[in-house]
Amino acid sequence: MKLKIFGRSREDKAFNIIASILCILIFIVTVYPIWYCLIYSFNDGADAAKGGLYFFARKFTLENYKIVFKNDAIYPAFFMTILRSIIGTVLTVFLSGLAAYGLSKDSLIGRKVYMTLGAITLYFSAGVVQQYLLYREINILDSFSVYILPNIYQFYYIILFIAFYKAIPQALEESAQIDGAGYFKIFFRIIMPMSKPIFATVALFSGVWHWNDWFSPAFFIQNEKMMTLPGVLMRSMSLAEAQQTLQKMTSAVTQASTTTMESVRYAMLIVSVLPVVIIYPFVQKFFLKGMMLGAVKE
Amino acid sequence: MKRKRVHKLHMDKGQWQLQAMVLPAMICFLIFSYVPVMGLINAFLDYSITDGFFGHEFVGLKYFKELFSDENFWLSMKNAVGMSALKFFFTFTAPLFLAIFINEVPYKWLKKITQTGSYLPHFLSYVIVATLWMVFLDPNGIINEVLQMLNLTGAPVEFLAEPKYFWWIGVGIDCWQESGWNAIIYLAAIAGINQDLYEAAEVDGAGRWKRLIHITLPSIGWTAGVLFVMNCGSLLSGGPVASNFNQSYLLGNAFNRPTSYVIQKYITDEGLNQMRFSFAAAGNLILSTLSVGLLLTANKILKKVFGRTVF
Repeated sequence: MKLKIFGRSREDKAFNIIASILCILIFIVTVYPIWYCLIYSFNDGADAAKGGLYFFARKFTLENYKIVFKNDAIYPAFFMTILRSIIGTVLTVFLSGLAAYGLSKDSLIGRKVYMTLGAITLYFSAGVVQQYLLYREINILDSFSVYILPNIYQFYYIILFIAFYKAIPQALEESAQIDGAGYFKIFFRIIMPMSKPIFATVALFSGVWHWNDWFSPAFFIQNEKMMTLPGVLMRSMSLAEAQQTLQKMTSAVTQASTTTMESVRYAMLIVSVLPVVIIYPFVQKFFLKGMMLGAVKE
Repeated sequence: MKRKRVHKLHMDKGQWQLQAMVLPAMICFLIFSYVPVMGLINAFLDYSITDGFFGHEFVGLKYFKELFSDENFWLSMKNAVGMSALKFFFTFTAPLFLAIFINEVPYKWLKKITQTGSYLPHFLSYVIVATLWMVFLDPNGIINEVLQMLNLTGAPVEFLAEPKYFWWIGVGIDCWQESGWNAIIYLAAIAGINQDLYEAAEVDGAGRWKRLIHITLPSIGWTAGVLFVMNCGSLLSGGPVASNFNQSYLLGNAFNRPTSYVIQKYITDEGLNQMRFSFAAAGNLILSTLSVGLLLTANKILKKVFGRTVF
């Protein structure tokens, strides 16, 4: 860049052009499917079924969304998903951050053992059947706790926290220590306010994970009232059931409606994707930083 | 040096506080990660759900014998290995290429939108990803529409009903969903390369291609090596993205079963639907042992190549 005096060679130009074209193609391939969902969901169902819908909605309508929001199953599921995302994320961020702070201290007795214990959890998984048996044994199947308890601590998040804490200058902490502040006090007064980027990163990861998790509702929950959005979506994926529910949904509104199963399904997808898509560009610069710190640590 | 001394002074006073921070995490790990692993011992016992957690009869290798004589086990194992090998190759290399493309683009805005766009799919639930591609790959879906428009096929292709496509669909979805996200680490490694190297090479007359081959690629070699080892542990669940189960469960159907039925799905079916818990534990035990073996082997290979290890 700085050595422009050499001018741009033909090789230079070729590189720029090829890389740019590839990037544009990649951008289109990654984003287009979601764009397609969006235009389909705002388009009249019968019209969209004729095909040829590529770039913009042709016959704009809100009918699909009206049907989605008239469905009684959606609201409780939405509420459940929000509830578990908030509670789960707050607990994870706060408790993992605290545990990581303890683990970042060399003076912690047994630190090596703890770190090894944690690291092994990254590589071992006993599978969903064993989890099921355990949850059954401790009586958290089919309850809200199954969404929260098993996932409070993730060792990967703890590693991210530790990497960040290590980069905080020691001087502040030391002076507080000399003034007689304990570790808890230091954590709340000094460490937490200085670690906002990593707290935001882990909150995003954890929040998105909770919002998207289809595993727990699929295998550990049977009670309809406890279903989350991905759980409802998953059920509507199995075609027979989808046909039933969606037909019930469509016929309940108007007989003359031109919405189709497809268009309603796209609307449902958009509804469940929207919160994530809205939030993530804003926290992007935080998680990039957090991820990179983690990468450097590795 | 100074830091150490301060800690020593306060060690006794603060130790209980530190332990109080860490111990809850360790207890959770023990309960939710270690107890299920220990539960795999049921593979050698006659576990029945009515008897509680302990005190089951020892049956030796009975369930392993049953497992090995079940043709579904071999089918699901074959699919897991085949699909994972394909995925491993493509989902491991795609982010590397993506990072290099993004890095070589001269326009900042283009870099930015490509990067931002490419993580987007990472944040979608697998249910959504699966639904999305299920509708796209439908005989009436947009992919068939485009293929027919371009006269590439006559009749619509039944992508999800034909076994021969399933592995490639799996690979494609993985690359689409996770390449951008996995490229972040490579981009970070590239950003960390000393710029003087490039300038010196440029003065010596090295063009873009030579700089890419001789500076960028060797500099991110170690990062790629670490990721390689880390991913080997999840090889049988589908490589870097570990999506075999998700795809098999959400996109598998009776038609594509010959290629979509993977070991994790088989274990779950036997365990949760047929309630054959000991049988499932035997399957899981084999799977875990193989994964750990792969991880350790990969680490050894890394040592041969780079002279250092991850663990």
